[in-house]
Amino acid sequence: MLKPEIIHRLQEIVGKDDVLSAREDLATYSYDGTTNWTGTPEVVVLPRTTGQISEIMKLASRHRIAVTPRGAGTNISGGSVPTRGGIVLCTVKMNRVLDINKTNLTAVVEPGVVLQDFNNMLAKENLFYPPDPQSFLGCTMGGTIAENSGGPLCVKYGVTKHYVLGLEVVLPSGYVMKVGGSTVKNRTGYDLVPLFTGSEGTLGVITGITLRLIPRPAARRTLMAIFDDMTLAGAVVSSILGAGIVPAKIEFVDNFVIRRIEEKMKIGLPVDAKTMLLIDVDGSEAAVESEADRILELLKEGGARIARRAKDEAEAALYWKARSAGFAAIYSAARTVIAEDVTVPRDRLSEYIQRLDEISRKSGFPIVLIGHAGDGNIHPSVSTDSTDKEDLERLEDTLTAIFEMALELGGTLSGEHGIGLEKKRLLSRALDPMAIDAMRKIKTIFDPDNIMNPDKIWENA
Amino acid sequence: MSRTEFTQVGKVARELEQCMKCGFCAYVCPVYQEEKTEASLARGKNELVKLLVSGELEINRELADRLYKCTGCMTCTANCPARAEIPRIVVAARADLAGEMGMRFPYGLIYRQVLAKRGVMGLALAAASRLQGVLMPRTSGTLRHMPDFLSAFGKGRRIPSVARKFLRRQLPEVTAAAGRRTLRVGYFSGCMNEFVSPEVGRRTVELLARRGVEVVFPRVQGCCGAAVFLGAGDFETARKMADRNAAAFEGLDYVVTDCATCACALTEYAHFLADTPEREEAYARFSGKVRHVASFLVDVLEAADFRAPALFDGKKVTWHDPCHLNRHLGVREQPRRILESLGGVRYVEMPEADRCCGMGGQFNLLHYELSMKIAKRKSENIEAADADVVVTACPGCQLQLADSASRLEKPQRVVSLMDVIE
Repeated sequence: MLKPEIIHRLQEIVGKDDVLSAREDLATYSYDGTTNWTGTPEVVVLPRTTGQISEIMKLASRHRIAVTPRGAGTNISGGSVPTRGGIVLCTVKMNRVLDINKTNLTAVVEPGVVLQDFNNMLAKENLFYPPDPQSFLGCTMGGTIAENSGGPLCVKYGVTKHYVLGLEVVLPSGYVMKVGGSTVKNRTGYDLVPLFTGSEGTLGVITGITLRLIPRPAARRTLMAIFDDMTLAGAVVSSILGAGIVPAKIEFVDNFVIRRIEEKMKIGLPVDAKTMLLIDVDGSEAAVESEADRILELLKEGGARIARRAKDEAEAALYWKARSAGFAAIYSAARTVIAEDVTVPRDRLSEYIQRLDEISRKSGFPIVLIGHAGDGNIHPSVSTDSTDKEDLERLEDTLTAIFEMALELGGTLSGEHGIGLEKKRLLSRALDPMAIDAMRKIKTIFDPDNIMNPDKIWENA
Repeated sequence: MSRTEFTQVGKVARELEQCMKCGFCAYVCPVYQEEKTEASLARGKNELVKLLVSGELEINRELADRLYKCTGCMTCTANCPARAEIPRIVVAARADLAGEMGMRFPYGLIYRQVLAKRGVMGLALAAASRLQGVLMPRTSGTLRHMPDFLSAFGKGRRIPSVARKFLRRQLPEVTAAAGRRTLRVGYFSGCMNEFVSPEVGRRTVELLARRGVEVVFPRVQGCCGAAVFLGAGDFETARKMADRNAAAFEGLDYVVTDCATCACALTEYAHFLADTPEREEAYARFSGKVRHVASFLVDVLEAADFRAPALFDGKKVTWHDPCHLNRHLGVREQPRRILESLGGVRYVEMPEADRCCGMGGQFNLLHYELSMKIAKRKSENIEAADADVVVTACPGCQLQLADSASRLEKPQRVVSLMDVIE
């Protein structure tokens, strides 16, 4: 238990109202978006300034108290779940957009700004920040930086790290460090910005963020295609990219998801279809027209039963809503659902789909596919209603088989969700031992006492 | 160790698993938008009820405080990818809390915490008890919860003048249809129209009669019970109210009310209050006949021609969606269609018309400052619409909008839908 004087000091730093220590509050900071990981903090603080965070970290350092930083807790890796009690440092009250610069095409934001709020503000200025994790209605900017988040748009526009120019970070010692700057070009020593981007809160607390923006594309088209064979759909994705076209999004949903969408929304999808692809192209009016035409040709050549444009904005919005409801459809269909995040090179997609099918048949667990085909990040979701210990162990083995298969195809353990608690047991198999050693040393430089989001990424840290 | 004694929460145990903790409710929950703490969010409340059921948390004041911090607006559910009905889980939990903690909570809390703070509350209570004193003999045991309503006017609010002549003294038991009778419906007045604004009730009944409907106004009807079961979780008391109301409207084609909250509460009897097969059957039959007047006019009578009284000539009107009407009952287009059809009046849609005003019945009593913060955003949206008149169909919303307009010194008039149509 934390000593009362620690709580008292925290109250002095941020004010009484922004320190939560009732059991009934602590219980609500014990989870993230996953089902499997929980852990209750001893106190929650909701600071409003960088200075306050610096004081909190000094206090935590002096007393070696574990600090779990978090935003809205929408992550799905266990990353914001406290494992050693301690302090949960929640940045949602630091939610100002400090600057949007239309000439520099940059923005400066505090970590607690909600991504959707930021997008709404940019839309008014005709500007665009592409990274689009599907938790955009809840997730905070600080969280997306710490997780280096991505989403459907990343096929064309890359992930969060491609847009971070500069960061202000409070280190475990309480020191406020600035890295990077506000220029697109910046070649000054080692680039520490991408080190903190994706650090999952294990190196420091992100308190200030300078982002690169781009102008909003003038036009957009949504295309929909239906396939009777999943591997054909996978092959078409490869052939579109191979033809030199980079759509903004290429999303894949399988028969299970199509049926669930039809149950809930009834938008007229053929329930016997094995795959639906949803494709967005964006850019200038002329470019999107010719790209859409060419993609429709490729879809038909590739064996699509149906391939067509959404007839208007409303129909496009309906398709995308169905897509974003897809995950919920999967989660609500069984007692235990684990949505994995392996990612494979895009030219191995149909092989990947085929191998998943084999794993499913061998293990007896249904594997549902939904996700970002355009960047090789189609999430396989493995689910079971069983609470039997043996079944759950077999489920674990099935997940391991999926990871191993993805690595064999030249892929990676996690495309966008991060390691957190969920995937750390497999980290050593995905990385070069020398790289692991370097990473551990970096952790020690910034966090010698291991108080900063301990137990995340690293086993036995 | 599971707590089987939680009978109401036990019924929704399956629902508890519906939340997948994605946290999307953060973007739409009006309470979270102000508070920014996880326990104020639907996801957090779902977790608290889960822990209550599993025995990891017990019933106490801290838990109750958090479960009462929900306006019941259902915006989370409307935007939830898994359609988790967390506000209804919260109502079920309140029932178990009320059962265990006794009626001192939350009524005790209101009276101790809220009423004690303003001397003016004493006046409200005195007025309320006088009213009840007058009414009780006449209605022999009708349960009324005017103290809740009137106490809402404290904390710097004006106390609305209680009507000189209550609705039941102004309306006959049966109002004949003008011309050929097409339907025979019962009119459910609700407490506000009964005691505070009987003219609204009269307008509704007369309008229905002019459109060929015979309107029966059963004298034995009482309070709908919204504050009692949806708010306070006192299912025991509410059952008596529900029994009385269901019996009062036997044999009629429809039960029409002009109060969104009443309409919502009356249709929720079976879900929350049915504890025997007989009640289940009776409540379901009764609830099936309940229509809000906007839906009755547009969907049942298929009326499309409405006029506004002359005093609204040339005015710009906007519509505020009561949560009980829009998200709970799915009545969204009907009032807009009525307003758009009014000659001489211009209809404008305000931004976020369906965003909760922050009233939430008892929520407003327990968390007045928070309630006013939520109302502020509504007020800004009303201002953005640049309307002269805000129309709504819920006395609770109406109080809240009028209160916040006067606090923020805004010029807009706030009226009931029935005030603007003839």
